[in-house]
Amino acid sequence: MNPTTKDALWYKDAIIYQVHVRTFNDSNGDGIGDFLGLEKKLDYLQELGVNAIWLMPFFPSPLRDDGYDIADYDSVHPSYGTLEDFRKVLDSAHQRGIRVIIEMVLNHTSDQHPWFQEARISQDNHRRNWYVWSDTDTQFKDTRIIFLDTEKSNWAWDPASKSFYWHRFFSHQPDLNYDNPAVREHMWNVMKFWLEMGVDGFRLDAVPYLIEREGTNCENLPETHAIIKELRRRLDEQFPGRMLLAEANQWPADLRPYFGDSDEFHMAFHFPLMPRMFMGLKLEDRKPITEILQQTPEIPPSCQWSLFLRNHDELTLEMVTDIERDYMYDMYAQDRTMRLNLGIRRRLAPLLNNDRRRIELMNSMLMSLPGTPIIYYGDEIAMGDNISLGDRNGVRTPMQWTGGWNAGFSSAEPEKLYAPLIHDPVYGYPAVNVAAQRESEHSLFHWMQRIIAVRKSSAVFGRGSIEFLYPANHRILAYLRRLGNESVLMVNNLSSAAQAVELDLRRYKGNVLIEMFGNNLFPRVGELPYLLTLGPYQSYWFRLRRV
Amino acid sequence: MRELIISELTQAVQDLTRGFAHYLPRLIVMLILAFVGWLIAYLVKIILRSILRLIKFDRLSENAGASQLLTKAALPSATEMLSRFVFWVTWLGFVLLGISVLGILGLQEQITRFFLFLPHLFVSVLILFFGMLAAGFAARAALLGAVNANVPSPGLLSLAVRSIIMVFVLSIVFEELGLAEQTMLVAFGIAFGALMLGLAIAFGIGGKDLARRFLEEKFVRTKKEQDEDELSPL
Amino acid sequence: MEDGNFLTDDFLRQLINVGEVDILVGLPTHNNAKTVGSVVHTIRTGILRSFPRERAVIINADGGSRDGTPELITGVSIDDVRRDSGVYALRTLHAISTKYASTPQSEVAMRTILAAAELLRAKACIVMSPESESITPEWVTNLVRPVYSDSFDLVSPTYHRHKFDGLLMTNLLYPMVRALYGVKIREAYMPEFGFSGRLGSQFLGQNRWNDGIGENGTELRLTLAAVTGGFRICQSFLGKKDPVERRAADLVPTLRHSVGVLFSALESDFNAWSTVSGSQEVPAFGADPEVALDPLRVNRKRLRDMFVRGVSELESVFQTILAASTLVELKRIAGLGEEEFRYPAELWVRTVYEFAAAFQKSVISRDHIIQALAPLFRGRVYTFVVENRNGSANDVANNIESLCLEFERLKPYLLEIWKSKQ
Repeated sequence: MNPTTKDALWYKDAIIYQVHVRTFNDSNGDGIGDFLGLEKKLDYLQELGVNAIWLMPFFPSPLRDDGYDIADYDSVHPSYGTLEDFRKVLDSAHQRGIRVIIEMVLNHTSDQHPWFQEARISQDNHRRNWYVWSDTDTQFKDTRIIFLDTEKSNWAWDPASKSFYWHRFFSHQPDLNYDNPAVREHMWNVMKFWLEMGVDGFRLDAVPYLIEREGTNCENLPETHAIIKELRRRLDEQFPGRMLLAEANQWPADLRPYFGDSDEFHMAFHFPLMPRMFMGLKLEDRKPITEILQQTPEIPPSCQWSLFLRNHDELTLEMVTDIERDYMYDMYAQDRTMRLNLGIRRRLAPLLNNDRRRIELMNSMLMSLPGTPIIYYGDEIAMGDNISLGDRNGVRTPMQWTGGWNAGFSSAEPEKLYAPLIHDPVYGYPAVNVAAQRESEHSLFHWMQRIIAVRKSSAVFGRGSIEFLYPANHRILAYLRRLGNESVLMVNNLSSAAQAVELDLRRYKGNVLIEMFGNNLFPRVGELPYLLTLGPYQSYWFRLRRV
Repeated sequence: MRELIISELTQAVQDLTRGFAHYLPRLIVMLILAFVGWLIAYLVKIILRSILRLIKFDRLSENAGASQLLTKAALPSATEMLSRFVFWVTWLGFVLLGISVLGILGLQEQITRFFLFLPHLFVSVLILFFGMLAAGFAARAALLGAVNANVPSPGLLSLAVRSIIMVFVLSIVFEELGLAEQTMLVAFGIAFGALMLGLAIAFGIGGKDLARRFLEEKFVRTKKEQDEDELSPL
Repeated sequence: MEDGNFLTDDFLRQLINVGEVDILVGLPTHNNAKTVGSVVHTIRTGILRSFPRERAVIINADGGSRDGTPELITGVSIDDVRRDSGVYALRTLHAISTKYASTPQSEVAMRTILAAAELLRAKACIVMSPESESITPEWVTNLVRPVYSDSFDLVSPTYHRHKFDGLLMTNLLYPMVRALYGVKIREAYMPEFGFSGRLGSQFLGQNRWNDGIGENGTELRLTLAAVTGGFRICQSFLGKKDPVERRAADLVPTLRHSVGVLFSALESDFNAWSTVSGSQEVPAFGADPEVALDPLRVNRKRLRDMFVRGVSELESVFQTILAASTLVELKRIAGLGEEEFRYPAELWVRTVYEFAAAFQKSVISRDHIIQALAPLFRGRVYTFVVENRNGSANDVANNIESLCLEFERLKPYLLEIWKSKQ
């Protein structure tokens, strides 16, 4: 069925492109992106060099949480097309060697889902037990509220059935009750449906919150892990080579259990690393980055971290200390409207003040630190954001293909677009678009192409070990990646000023350094510390070769 | 007969005149040298006096203790003394030079010896002067050190230091002048040795407690009763 | 820029790695292994608590320690601080060390620290004493903040001290600096203080560092340079000052490093201080310094005895330094019995001023002049102790104040004897 599924560990070599169907390309002129539009742009993705796409939720939904409030698991939202259209996307992607990962929101549904509508009818309804109900809102008191800016409680009152229902997210997203075997069975069948169609993996949204228990914080409970193990077992049995990616915004030590003994998730997002990369950049100090990676536990050999710079959500500052959070706010979000739910809702380019060098540096680290990189759509051309759109919609504006009508996204009238385009002089679509960047040799798009190609040239990036060097100059982040006989050296200057650094490479004495972008030779490593000078925000990728 | 006497007389007068005429130029030269020498010596004295005043030589000699000595002997200031000394020596030199022109044999040698002696004289004066300076400095340093260290008899200690240094200096001076060299050498040896031995005995027997305390302070650094009540000045 | 050849290559390399900083902490050491570990820990805590976002470095200038002092400084880990004080470190806090000589020379240590501050373009610098046992993290804050946030150039510390602690400061240095330079700086010679990069650079560039003597007292010269250079000066209360153990033999070196330096400075600063009259307060931060009154055993007899012996044995020396009338008066009070003995303020001030004038003219070796002051100072200490033995904090303060006013009143006398015999 799936021609690309040959290597069971393909996700370690993947370069994932995160995209929402709605935002990418509109094929039928209704102002909303769709599957057929996406299918037309798969060549672009192939040109960029990515080999996997992660599609955000495209299920039928009232869209009160951008599709994460699902009203029907077995279909697609009519705005985006039909199931047949989706199948077409799958096949086209596979033909281009691109795998497809889709969302699966296990934890909750939309309150418009027929299950919930039924459950509300009465306390005796057969779907009643599919959700978590209570007569009072005092249970599970120790549980934190995730959407702090909008929700005051994890319980919501249902006037219809005159009781409270549990929701970890928006109140219109009631949590499913995973203590009910019927729920577990049905959700596996949902996954199976899509797997049989050919999807290569799932990003399982909000997994830490599946199970609730009194006296706990209702996160990361053993029962939750048991459920995941069961899912994984069935997956391996019936669909080997498919992948499960965990979305769990936790400290690394708390994330580790989600890999289990290679019997839970294949991949998990390394949430705590991401804000620290931004922090290290502002501090001009590698300490936050090296510290968090030092604290990151070893994971089973078949498992993989997933790294990202930005995504559809706010840049979360949940997994940092108060001091760090205040610093990040002061440095990156002085304007309070940029702040949301203990995070910052901005795209990559605006966060970095559209500084090309910093954008390159961050991507260089993304592509070379241990893990599978995920590129958020539009960041490869340094798209901007629109905070006034509310919630997190500012970072989910239409893809900018050209400088022409509707940025080439849609033929519809501009007022009909699902969201307005970015217009400002700096990030607006006349200035920032794919077509223009294709024409410009030195564009960010071409640079991203180049770095993706270099990354793909060696398995060491996806599968190798990491060893940090700690040169005395704290502004330099340097590390070695090794896989078998192959070694590569990454040197990153986090400072806005030129730097000199001496690296202790004595163990590699006799190796010649080959810079990986130009394939030029650098001096051989000797007894003395290896001196390098770097321009502001510059990074080097070296292959170590002993001739 | 009369003619013989007249011719002898004439001969004698002629010889005298010849002799006188032979020495006269030299005499004149000698007088000229003496006069010029006086002028030069006077000039040197004036210049030297100005220089010495400029470098505050009197102050220096005060430090050396030389001024006090001169005052006691009702002699003029050190600057004046030195200037006058240099004046006389310079003029004497020129006078002797003039006398040597006369060509009196025995005197020639003595004059040469005098001129050979002069550098030694100057060096001796210098050694004496700086020696007195050093002795004064060291004596005062010893005095201050002893007073501040609460050592008994600081005055005596200071005098001892000064004496030792002066003895040493004087012996070098005498050696330089070449006066009774051997005697001086031996006398110095005896005096110095005796002084050292005496001090050693005094220090060793009489001052052994002091010695012990000194050594302890230097190498062991234990607090003594006396220091317990010291205040911290800063 | 100062000739940087006196910085070793290794130290320079370490400075390159540190890069530009906002706050620099200088720590001159020599065999301080007993106390320096906790001092450094406290310094780090102070920086992390009050200046978590600022780039900071601890520079240790070591004078040939043999007890592992430098290793204790560079080896303290940030994690230890976090564990013990619960303070989180946002960024790397460097601690680097250099051995500037095989024997301690305070001037070279200060010069090293100043050079490092200039190379690293530090905005605020502080120098801490490695022996301080009563140091708290707030000391760091109180020294840095006036420079970093309020743009002062020199932060002089004030302490909670015993009334008999630091009598050289209260009876000579403080009143004399106040009277001559016109600023009321209580601790002009200070083991810990703060200064701005601006002042440090100027001081580094202007000073003749190759005098060859390696004299101590750079801190005092820095204070005077700040005063004469029109820099903004303030005082900041730190806390209780540890009484440093002193022995009788330490008085002369202390006089050299403090009074000797002050007397030297008077010469070069003549144009500045000769025209000043009266004295001004400097802005003060933190609590008012308090005076501890607990009873303290003092060997008063010994003080007086040393004074009397000094006056008698050193008469020949005093004759070259003091005015005849002053010497006569000293001999008179030396002859008084223990009960009547007093070294009055006016006589003390005249003594000090005449010493200063004699020092300037080098009537005898300058070092000998300083040494000669020691027994006289002891006499003054005796009088101060007797006069204040039962006094309240207010009484002590008033006595010091009236001594200061006496110094100010007799300033014309100093000017008169200064200019005579030129």
